[in-house]
Amino acid sequence: MEIIDHPPILHFSGIPDHVTYTWIAMLIIIAVSFFATRKLELVPRGAQNFMELVLDQFHQILDEVIGAGGRRYLPLIGTLGLFILVSNLMGLVPGLVAPTANLNTTAACALIVFFTYHVIGVRKQGALNYLKHFAGPVPGPLKPLMFVIEIISHLARPLSLSLRLFGNMVGGHILIAIFFFMMGFDGLLGWALTGSLGGLLIGAPGALVSAVFVVGFLMPLKILVAFLQAFIFCMLTMIYITGALEEAEHEAQHAPAGHH
Amino acid sequence: MRRTMMFALMAVFAVPGIALAADAAAGGGEGWIKPFAAIAAGIGFGLAAGLCGLGQGRAAGSAVDAMARQPGNTNRIQTAMILGLAFIESLVLFVFVIAVILLFVKS
Repeated sequence: MEIIDHPPILHFSGIPDHVTYTWIAMLIIIAVSFFATRKLELVPRGAQNFMELVLDQFHQILDEVIGAGGRRYLPLIGTLGLFILVSNLMGLVPGLVAPTANLNTTAACALIVFFTYHVIGVRKQGALNYLKHFAGPVPGPLKPLMFVIEIISHLARPLSLSLRLFGNMVGGHILIAIFFFMMGFDGLLGWALTGSLGGLLIGAPGALVSAVFVVGFLMPLKILVAFLQAFIFCMLTMIYITGALEEAEHEAQHAPAGHH
Repeated sequence: MRRTMMFALMAVFAVPGIALAADAAAGGGEGWIKPFAAIAAGIGFGLAAGLCGLGQGRAAGSAVDAMARQPGNTNRIQTAMILGLAFIESLVLFVFVIAVILLFVKS
């Protein structure tokens, strides 16, 4: 992917860039949290006000999706959401690298989610009952088939979680790189600078139009995508956790009646 | 008529591949993979993006319908719509990843 390989500001030889910038994202989050909670006041101001707003949003979504007891999972959801959001936004700053534009980072997040919601389900319900519910509400002979299908669909979840985030970030980066490449000194702007008639008539307005297009449309779109992908990642995590919990309630409702 | 056009189209697509393959065959090695990979990436991603547009258009249209009928539930409909769009989009992103692998990973 030589087209999006640009030298980042910080580069340590031997350490991959996404690891370096993961630590920088962590430092940013830790610093903001530290300054927000250093002097807690009853009437919040500044950073504390901002972080309370963020926390309120998380609480609201957790209550809405998971329901009662959803706030137990705030540490997981909040950490994932803030980390992914900060990482995505770092990709918009020239000279920085978005850690989420590397499959290793997103796969790590997705695997954490995958194991966490299974552990939550097993703890809520016990291993055997949890496994039993992979077979779903179908008559007996179909259960093995359903079990295999469910296993495959559960294995596809971390795959789609990680690839969605990674693909969105890298796709945006490649798009912007192609536009810059097209309007740069090798492209339209270079054509205009040669001073030929075609260059002046087509190259110069073309470079201007693509610059306006990138700054006015693609950059806001990428900011929107950064927020949206963080939101979707958290939302799907919450939905998976809800699924693992709901199976327990389902079992509790139906076991005495002896349906299954 | 349609079949003729299809064969013509296939011929047009295949020509650069064969031409480059001849070049590569002279030099030896597997250079002919590259042009076909580029064609496959382009066609595949075009198909994926177009069909994703159809699907997302349906989803967003239904969501707007629902919001117009039930303005009180706008927030929940919006959340569901965004989730649905993300699922549809993720299929395109699979194709995107495959296309990137085809184009940039040296075989």
